[in-house]
Amino acid sequence: MIRLALGTLRRHRGAYAGTFLAALLAVALLAGGGLLLFSVLTAKPPADRFAAAAVVVSGARDVSVETVTTKKKKEGKTKLKRKVKTERLTGAGTLPAELAGRLRGLPGVERVVADAAFPVQAATRGGTPVRGADDAPVIGHGWSSAALTPYTLRDGRAPGDGEVVIDADLAGRGRLAVGDPLVLTTRTGSRTVEISGVAAPAGGDGLPAQGAVFLADGEVAAVSGLAGPTAMGVLAAPGTDVPALAAAVREHAAGAPVLTDGDRVGADLPGALPDYIAPISIFGFVLGITAFAAVFVLTGTVTLSVRQRLRELALLRTIGATPRRLRTLLGVESVLLAALAALPAAPLGVFFAQVVAARFQALGVVPAQFTVAVSVPVLLAAGLAGILVTFIAARIAGRRAARIAPTQALTETTTAPGGSRIVRTVVALVTTAGAVAVLSFVPLGGPLGMGMSFVSSALLLCAVAAAGPLLVRALTAVLSRPFGLAGLISRAESRRVAAVAVPLVLMFAVNATMLLNGSLLDRLAGQEQRERTAPATALVGAPGGMPLDAARQIAAQPGVTGAAALLPTRVIAVKGGKPEDYPAQGLLSTGTTPALDLGLSGGALGGASTFAASSYVIGQYGWRIGETVPLWLADGTRVELRLSATYTRARGFGELVLPAELVAAHDPKGLVASVALSGDVAGDSATAPPVVAAGDKSEQQGAWELMVAISLGFTAIAVVNTFAIATAARRREFADLRLVGATTGQVHRLAGREAAITVAVGLLLGAAVCGIVVGTFSVAQDGVLRLIVDPGTYAAMAGTVALLGLAAGILPARLMLRRGGLPAQV
Amino acid sequence: MRDTVVVEVIDLMKRYPGAAVQALDGVSVAFGAGSFTAVMGPSGSGKSTLLQCAAGLDRADSGRVLLAGQEIGRLREPKLTQARRARVGFVFQSYNLLDSLSVWHNVLLPQRLAGVRPDRRWAREVLNRVGLAGRENDHPGRLSGGQRQRVALARALAARPEVVFADEPTGALDLASGREVLTLLREAVDDLGTTIVMVTHDPAAAAWADRVVFLADGRIVTEMHAPSAEKVAEQLTAVTR
Repeated sequence: MIRLALGTLRRHRGAYAGTFLAALLAVALLAGGGLLLFSVLTAKPPADRFAAAAVVVSGARDVSVETVTTKKKKEGKTKLKRKVKTERLTGAGTLPAELAGRLRGLPGVERVVADAAFPVQAATRGGTPVRGADDAPVIGHGWSSAALTPYTLRDGRAPGDGEVVIDADLAGRGRLAVGDPLVLTTRTGSRTVEISGVAAPAGGDGLPAQGAVFLADGEVAAVSGLAGPTAMGVLAAPGTDVPALAAAVREHAAGAPVLTDGDRVGADLPGALPDYIAPISIFGFVLGITAFAAVFVLTGTVTLSVRQRLRELALLRTIGATPRRLRTLLGVESVLLAALAALPAAPLGVFFAQVVAARFQALGVVPAQFTVAVSVPVLLAAGLAGILVTFIAARIAGRRAARIAPTQALTETTTAPGGSRIVRTVVALVTTAGAVAVLSFVPLGGPLGMGMSFVSSALLLCAVAAAGPLLVRALTAVLSRPFGLAGLISRAESRRVAAVAVPLVLMFAVNATMLLNGSLLDRLAGQEQRERTAPATALVGAPGGMPLDAARQIAAQPGVTGAAALLPTRVIAVKGGKPEDYPAQGLLSTGTTPALDLGLSGGALGGASTFAASSYVIGQYGWRIGETVPLWLADGTRVELRLSATYTRARGFGELVLPAELVAAHDPKGLVASVALSGDVAGDSATAPPVVAAGDKSEQQGAWELMVAISLGFTAIAVVNTFAIATAARRREFADLRLVGATTGQVHRLAGREAAITVAVGLLLGAAVCGIVVGTFSVAQDGVLRLIVDPGTYAAMAGTVALLGLAAGILPARLMLRRGGLPAQV
Repeated sequence: MRDTVVVEVIDLMKRYPGAAVQALDGVSVAFGAGSFTAVMGPSGSGKSTLLQCAAGLDRADSGRVLLAGQEIGRLREPKLTQARRARVGFVFQSYNLLDSLSVWHNVLLPQRLAGVRPDRRWAREVLNRVGLAGRENDHPGRLSGGQRQRVALARALAARPEVVFADEPTGALDLASGREVLTLLREAVDDLGTTIVMVTHDPAAAAWADRVVFLADGRIVTEMHAPSAEKVAEQLTAVTR
């Protein structure tokens, strides 16, 4: 059987090229997407700042909520069920300073170092920001923390009051030397200090993802605004048993996490470590899109190529192959083909992962320290998935050939109706129902909106693919009327038209939906941003941010009648026992005229211990104005605030608004990003950057566009490939046309018209899928139904798909006719 | 019957690239209007090459091909195709119908391609003659081999060509179907005045023609008028030897 399969593979080299290419690309995409997700899931922080400490006690780095549910069981027994859900903090909780004293006495402890880590905006006196490698943040510490890594002085001396030691990497980047001034900005204010020394960790100029600035220990509290150390490193005496020491430390740590070995790095400031959480969701989505497109396209291609060989398969039946043998043949053949394709696909997948990772890094969505880990199990899994999909698709496509009587198969032509109209209808109905369910029950206005709109368009695409021949027959009956002979052929060959149109539908629907939804969000965000700042006559910002006091001074300028300073932060609220993290803003409002218009829909802003929430959050949590709600701030502090207002203009801004002082006190960065001013403001202060969103909308938009580029590329290849396979099978048909007197020009025109019909069908179905999803998405955003959103993007997408489809339909036919010469003998 | 010559080839030479021998080695032959000629010869004698060159499907290395007085040997595409479809009809062993078109559309296809208004009444008449009235909307895939060949014949005749070239038209058919097709070819000559040039290796089929031309090694060896199957078979054996 294997020999027979190998034989057919060898003989039909050309016919299999399309399937091979589809399998190759599908496996490469699966492998690439899988590698990206695997790499980001297993990514290790690049360096451990606590390398010299055997045991590290960490302040809180996440919020845990425990829910206890009582389950009544039979016979009157009750069972308590505990569920603990956690959410990561963006800031760092602190430890009580006296813990150091308690730990110092433990056996085996040589030294206990209290470590305070806090973000610092460093700049030269001229105002040039000083950042670490790859724009890494600069983190401030007390000089004693240097022993944790350890950093050792290369030049100069330990810092005294008003002095700092910086790492050699920062010194190199900022062209700074001992004796130079450095401007440090933290939430407590800006100050100019003098560089007293340059230090470096062993084996380098600095740590890879963070720059270090060391202050005199006595100044840390004043500069950082921290209530205590964010971590505590325990340096062990030589020969100490580390696990025993950790156990002893744990007893005194009062529940604070005690970390050893590779876990120690978790005690560092979250902002100082590369953030792999956002990339996980991005790469998860990349894998989702690529896997869907790959499987979708591969299934279609395999089905098409098997169906085109139905005649040959029937011939095998006539010479005595049993249906079972035929099924085995198709199975073995597809496995061979996919396995063969998987070999070059693996390195291609690695390459793909590296290119995509590099692009995302350039966008700043993925940390610069991220590297693609080449995992053999992931590559194997991708290969196996490709083989499995090819195998199943081939078996399903071949089942009809295997089932029918050989003579019937021989006389039957490609125009024979599909075997399982019922199955097709059922699949189409189920997937449509799924799409309808997603579109109607998931709140598309929320953070899940984009992902869910993709899921629903994927489901609708499956429905289109399943119902393809039926839909296409109906559509071509109408569309092909003005196309004469080409129309006649298209009507008769609705299955082929469907097979070729489906990748076009995929290409248009997936990419247009993502682009249009993305640009809709972008536009709405821009619009709300303009509406929010409409009352302002000027916006003031500073690179990196300014302390709250500086914002107050700006607000106190003569002529300013109202000011609104915004501090971006993140706040955690608990929903159903699950802590959820939201972008939020700290707001400082002064003056008598408004400078910010949030579009209040109830209540009034302001007042200590109050907060405002967006209508989306209100919809999710059901809070009422006047209600007191527990919230967790960036450093994990739990506060109870009274809801005083609800607002509508939350896009690109944040879902919660808290008092600025509260945010500044609990967000380790705690800097004002922008100040909106109203009144008669002097012209020079009106040079303003846009409000820094607490989220990261522009990065998300970039990430979306990159994903569209990936899926556009793949779907384009799929379109060309499918057209080529379909055309290759028509050599005989074209030759027959030439024999009965068609000139090559006429065959070209025929192929062109057929391509035009196919493109029209594809675009219509694509526009239908896209319209349903985008329309629902748009209504979910602001109640306005938009189908096209952005005519430019829409036309560009439609034009690209149409041009590609036409070219892919016409060129293979031309090549074939040129190569074929005169059709003397067929 | 031989007043006017419809197709004439003069001194055709043809050698396929890489082949050792001449496929056509100076063939000159004329086919008169309303004649039914069979071209016979053993495999490799050049009979199919002759038909293809005479029909403008293939190009000879040298020599002239006159189709209704028009020199087509030197025509370039698409002029050659246009000349062919205006004057020539084809019937092939493998039918060469378009599966995606119905019988009716297959029959009208050459006229459609020529851009002339199809003569529907004539097409109906031809379909009637070949016994396929009422099957217009069927697709070729559902027809038997004999029926398909009759569709092909109807297609060839529907455009009222000056000559119909038939390449082994009964080669893929059983005896009864083959006889039906040959009867129809004969009727086309006798009733409609069509000119037919038929390549065959079957003496029984050749016996339906008015004249049989024997080819061997790319040359015309002899020809026979008013043939019978026995005489043709005899001659063929002689030629083959």
